[in-house]
Parts: sequence; structure tokens; C-alpha cells
Amino acid sequence: MAEARPGAVSVAHGVGEGALQRWGRCYAVMVRWHLAGLRMWLVTLTVVQLLAGVGFVLGISLFFAHIPMRAALFVSTGVPVINLVTIGLMLGPQLVADQKANGSYDYLRSMPVTRSVTAAAWYTVCLFGGVPAMVVSLGVARLRYELPLHVSPMIVPAVLLTSFAGTMLGYALGHALGNPMATRLITQLLAFVIFGFAPILFPLSQMPRWLGALNWWFPFRHMAVVTRAALIPGVQAVTSAYIMLALWAIACAALAGRALGRRP
Amino acid sequence: MTVSVVGRHPGHQARSELRSGLGYWLASLVSMVRFDYARAREWMPFMIVVQTMMGAAMALLYGFFYPQVTTTRALYITTGAPTLALIPLGFVMLPSSVAQQKMEGIFDYIWSLPSPRSAQATSTFLLFTLLALPGSLLALLVAAWRYDVHLSVSPLLVPAAVLCALAAITVGYGIALLISDPLVTNVVVNALMFVVLLFSPIVYPASQLPAWLATVHYFLPFYNMAVVIRAGLTSGVVAHVATSFIALAAWTVAGAGATAWVVGRRR
Repeated sequence: MAEARPGAVSVAHGVGEGALQRWGRCYAVMVRWHLAGLRMWLVTLTVVQLLAGVGFVLGISLFFAHIPMRAALFVSTGVPVINLVTIGLMLGPQLVADQKANGSYDYLRSMPVTRSVTAAAWYTVCLFGGVPAMVVSLGVARLRYELPLHVSPMIVPAVLLTSFAGTMLGYALGHALGNPMATRLITQLLAFVIFGFAPILFPLSQMPRWLGALNWWFPFRHMAVVTRAALIPGVQAVTSAYIMLALWAIACAALAGRALGRRP
Repeated sequence: MTVSVVGRHPGHQARSELRSGLGYWLASLVSMVRFDYARAREWMPFMIVVQTMMGAAMALLYGFFYPQVTTTRALYITTGAPTLALIPLGFVMLPSSVAQQKMEGIFDYIWSLPSPRSAQATSTFLLFTLLALPGSLLALLVAAWRYDVHLSVSPLLVPAAVLCALAAITVGYGIALLISDPLVTNVVVNALMFVVLLFSPIVYPASQLPAWLATVHYFLPFYNMAVVIRAGLTSGVVAHVATSFIALAAWTVAGAGATAWVVGRRR
């Protein structure tokens, strides 16, 4: 059919291909694209992720003369959350800011792939960048503190949703914020919040009450709740945490999608 | 003869006469401070705000990690907070700023200026010391308020704070100059920060460390900074303050030596 219309050479490649097939092919290409873009960083990133995870798990015991089991349990089940969101939430916005600064951002936007493909590919990269570090951190924690960890099947939705919400929040920050300086500043602020001002690495009861209440409106507390519930027996998976996380993820994805769809 | 030379090249003669000696050095220092200040003016207020907030935030967040903040813990966190606020400026922001200058090419431009490089380095020291102090002070005040700790400030605090700032900034500057690749600098300083925040006995006693790590820290600057600042804020809590002062002085000399070696060398 294509040879009958010589002018249609550019679409020949996609002729006969279903929408889903095309999506899948673009997705595979975009995953490779993201990996190629990160290749200089992949080794550094993996090392940093592992060191930060293991470092936190081991380092926290130095804060105490004898670390209480509860403190060890919270840190050990909180570090995986940080491992999961590091790439999507911390590195992602900075990469986008760099792309905006050096001009490759417009080039990327000019590529003939849909927004959902780009986002899905980036999510995949973030997920696979976070899971190995999470496993190693948990393993080290288990060896060091002899924790009563019990991994339930709920770990799958917990990990998928935590990583997705973190990645989409980072995606929205990167794409919806115009100023790269603002992006950088906000990600650095977020790093601070995640380590010290959200109840991820320590129980909610150790924060001032108002700060805990404030955290209910942000996704980090809920990430910790769903992940912890899948790792410690007896902790109820709170449905509201799943709902809040999903809402955050959808809102951020919509925000990023709108920013990406707007013509400059 | 001389008169005729001066007559032909008055400016040249006058300048070459002036390009050495204490007077010229001081005049260069003043110019460099003005130059650095003018360049920093854009981001300095912002940096001071971030620096102060970070200091205060760190003082608060260490407390969240403990189920109960006992009197001893509160004392350690409060007196460690100003040290923690000081370290990032010398060990992270200064090397990062130099790395940035190298990438932008400003670093080479500054070196090409006709002022002594020692005056250029001194100007950077002054600027960053000024930046460091408000954050440290606020971290201390916030921590003292949050944990309700009563401090007994002694005159020792002044030399302690000055020496800590000097040590952090000279060593940070030495690192920034010794490592020529800006990307490596960034990796090194961020790794250092991780060691400082988690594995250094600044907000907790050194006795909680494994013996080998404690021994390592007796030789590194971080623990010694915490000791001298704590000694200036409390009475009867820390021992062997003199040793820590000596260790910090040695680090300052080493940092200044490294800086001097690099800036005195021709490329």
C-alpha cells in the first residue's frame, strides 16, 4: 500500500501496526533512550543508592548506646522507601532541569512518542533503579538487627505505588516548574523533608503533633505506611494511605502531562 | 636616567613598584573582597537564608530520631548543632562553588588577575566565614529553645568558633584545589557530608562508636570541632579540649598548606 503512495514514506514504518503495538515499541525505545541518557550515571547512581541505604541502616545504631528494636525496625523499613523514590524524585527533576538548561528538552519533546510512553518508560527506569538497593538495604538490616521481617504479597502493590507516586511527583516538579533553579531548590528541600521531617525513618509519635498532621496531606507518610505494612506482620495496610498515594500520583501525572502537552 | 624612564612609562614604573609588599597585598585583599562580594551579592542573601534554615532544621530533626530526648541527648544535640551548621559551608558549599567557578572558567580568570593569589584565597576565607556564622548561631538558639537546654557560654567559644570555621574552610578549599576535576569534587564532598551527618560523633557521644571508628575520629576534624564548640558552651562535659584544639590547628595548617602549594604553583 505504501508503494502506491510515494509521498507517505514517513508513515510506512507504522502501517499495519496496532495502537498497542506501536505503544509497546515506542516504550521499549524510550526505556533504552532513558538508560542511554543515564549511562554515565548508572554506576555512580547504583553505588550511591547502595551506600546511602546500607549506610543509613548501619549508621542509625550509632545514635544510640543500645538501639531499641522499634527504632531499628522503623529505619530498616523506611530506608527502602527512600531507595525507591531517590531516582524519580531527587534525580529526575534535576535531569529535566539540566535538559532545559542545555536545550535537549525541546529536542526530546519533538520526538514522535506520546506523553504516556515517555512517562511509563521513565517510571520503569526509576523502579528498576530503586528495587535492587531496596533489597540490599533490607538484607543488611535483617542481618544487622535480626529483625522480625515478614514480606507479604502486598509488597508488590506497595513498591509499585510508592515508586510511581515518587516518580510522578518528581516528573511534575521537573516538567511543570519553569525555573531550573527552583526545581533544584525544591528537590534539595524534599531530600531534607524525606530524611528528617516526614515519618519515614522514625515513628509518627516522635514528631510534634502538628507536623504529623501536616504530613497526612503529603505522600511520604503514606509511602512509609504501605511499605511498612507489607514488611512487618501485624501492621494493618491502611486503605486510606493507598488512596492518598494514588491521588497524589494521578494529580502529579496530570500536572506533568499538562505541562508536556502545552506548546511553548 | 630613571627620571627619563618614568617620564616615558610613568604607569608601568609606578605599578611595578607597588606590586609587592604588605600595602599592595592589603590593597589587593580589599579589591578581592569587593570583587567576591559583588559576585556573591546575587546569591548571598538566599544562601544565608538557606544556610540558617538548614542549621535550624538539622537541630530539630536529630531529635525526631529518638523515642525520648533525654537531658544528655538534648545537650549533645544542642551543642552539636552549631558545628553541624558550620561543616557544610566549608566542606560542601565552598568546594562546590570552586567547582562551579572551574566549570564556568571564572576560576582561571581570577587567577589571571594581578593580585596575589594568597589575597584571593584570603578573600574567599573571609566571605565564607561571614556566611557560616549566622547559621551556626541560629542552629544553637533553635536547639536550645526546642530542647530547653541551659548553656554556660565561656570565652573559649570565640577562639573555638573561629578555629572551627577556619579549619572547615581551609580544608574545604584545599580539597577543592587539590582535586582538579569538578565532578570528582562534588562526589567527594557529598560522600564527606554523609560521613559527617551519620558516622561522626557530633550530636552523640564518641563512646557510642566502635573503638576503631572512634580512633579514626580523633584524627579527623569533625569530632574535634564538636569538642571545642561544646567546650565553649558547657562546663565539665568534655575533656581533652587542648588536644582537639591542636588537632584542628594542625588541620588548618594542612589545609592552608595545600592551598598555598596549589596556588603557588604554575600550570
